[in-house]
Amino acid sequence: MEMVAFYPGCAAKGASKELYESTVAVSEELGIPLVELPQFSCCGAGVLEEVKDILDIVVNARNLALAEREGFKTIVTVCSTCLLVLKRTKYHLDNDDDLKEKVNNLLEKEGLEYKGEVDVKHFHWFLLDEFGEDELRRRVKKPLQSLKVYPYYGCHTVRPYEILGYEPSENPQSLERLIRAVGAQPVSGERRLECCGFHAFWPNPNGSMILTGLNLKDAKLCGADCIVTPCPLCHMNLDANQGRALKEVGESFSIPVLHVPQLLGLALGIEPKRLGLHRNIVPVNC
Amino acid sequence: MERREVTFRIKRFNPKKDVRPYYQEYKLTVPRGMTILEALQFIKDEIDPTLAFRAFCRSAICGSCAIKVNGFPKLACKTQVFTELDKFKTSLLTLEPLDNMEVIRDLIVDWDGAFERMKELKPYLIPDPKVVPDTLDEETRVYPEELKKYDKFTDCILCTSCYSICTATQIDEGYGGPFQLARLYRFAVDKRDGLKEERAKIGYAYDMWNCVRCEKCADVCPKHVGPVDAIMRLRGISIDIGLKDNPGARHVLAFYKSLMESGLLNEVLLPLRAKGIKGVLENLPVGIKMILKGKAHSPIMKPISEHESLIKLMKAAMEVE
Repeated sequence: MEMVAFYPGCAAKGASKELYESTVAVSEELGIPLVELPQFSCCGAGVLEEVKDILDIVVNARNLALAEREGFKTIVTVCSTCLLVLKRTKYHLDNDDDLKEKVNNLLEKEGLEYKGEVDVKHFHWFLLDEFGEDELRRRVKKPLQSLKVYPYYGCHTVRPYEILGYEPSENPQSLERLIRAVGAQPVSGERRLECCGFHAFWPNPNGSMILTGLNLKDAKLCGADCIVTPCPLCHMNLDANQGRALKEVGESFSIPVLHVPQLLGLALGIEPKRLGLHRNIVPVNC
Repeated sequence: MERREVTFRIKRFNPKKDVRPYYQEYKLTVPRGMTILEALQFIKDEIDPTLAFRAFCRSAICGSCAIKVNGFPKLACKTQVFTELDKFKTSLLTLEPLDNMEVIRDLIVDWDGAFERMKELKPYLIPDPKVVPDTLDEETRVYPEELKKYDKFTDCILCTSCYSICTATQIDEGYGGPFQLARLYRFAVDKRDGLKEERAKIGYAYDMWNCVRCEKCADVCPKHVGPVDAIMRLRGISIDIGLKDNPGARHVLAFYKSLMESGLLNEVLLPLRAKGIKGVLENLPVGIKMILKGKAHSPIMKPISEHESLIKLMKAAMEVE
């Protein structure tokens, strides 16, 4: 398999270390050659756009150009917001020649050029594209039979479709496909595409916690045994802030929340410790 | 021509007669190319004249026919039945009135609240006497590069699709609303406007920092306006004019600082930087749990490779006109 540039994003290097660990473990198991570039910077989580829009573009054009400089065709990330920010940068540069020229003039001074040859994918899209459900199913050693999983997409792997373009934003199925591939059963929830409020956590913590609480409540109502999400930021709200969020909506249960590679890793028979499951705030019994 | 049997499950409600809304099903043979609006008109003409919906231009210009199709706001005139059937792999389409607004009858909602909110935000040009001549003898020239700043935000047709699905509107009554804030931004960067950047203060007063960046408004807009982009820029303007001492602005500046320091986000210092001691105390219980689980990095972060190059680029970007 061709080498891919691994863009973990800041959360996976810190507050969601278990996402980094599980991604590396699953990639080793499946033989995915991930190469993390030490030059990659934080994408700015869309926040840099609020400092100045060209700053957001330049910082991320640099990330894209670094991958191109090292000859990569694909950047794989495990963070939904990093995905959207990188893909949006690519979208703007690929559709606006003036902007591309302006940005390349700056990059040139640092020995970089954005050509537009590198693609950006979320890890779970990459798994589905490279292996497909059938191949993943064949690799499963411990099918997660009878496990009911709530596929919580959140926002930035599905919207806006115009920029992400992987699957219809109104009816994505990638998580359901993965859940079925590991032998588990996806439950259908009304709030699987709703926001967790993470990006307004600082200005409006209560609002953010209400949204997270409602999402957790929906998963419970659907009879889910656990939630799986492709986004470490959603994960932080759903897992680390679970108690606070449920309190905000007058509930007090607990439901484990897994990162995509944690769920897949369990089915591949990887040791829970290598998947960082001991780091999840809500205990995961496996 | 291909035809399909389709069931339209339509939410009905006449507040003068009905205790609560109910769903009514209509079965139709739909030819390829038929729009949702044409289907609604067929039902009204041939099956049930009591069905109420709003429609006018039939050309995706007037914005009056926005309804929910299988849960998502759409202009009925611009949306083909087959496209939706294929997307949801179904032969049943559920049509409902837009959310976040009162239902007048069936698929018709009351826009007044949304438009009143827009009016409060002063979405009209307040001419700058230094730029706009006071007689009509002269013109005020706006050059293409100036227009580019706000051109796409003038495309809004007030269909309220974004407002109906807006997450921040659902949880914050004081929130300005997506299309409303986008209009505000549109004037904030218009050189003919007398208030210009000062308009960001209106956005601030109407909780623009509470936008959760769920991107729904960008996704559902039939005219590709993307109100969220305007809101992000309006926030930027508010920082530029000195509205820096609030959690939203401080969160933004914390990111900038982190990137200049190491190239990566310093998550450990984020609560302090975004919200001061209050931020630390509020998040202390969760923070301690995370530290005990080994989910925190050192507050002093090792810079990324070629960090100097990133700093140079960031500085250069800040200089760009």
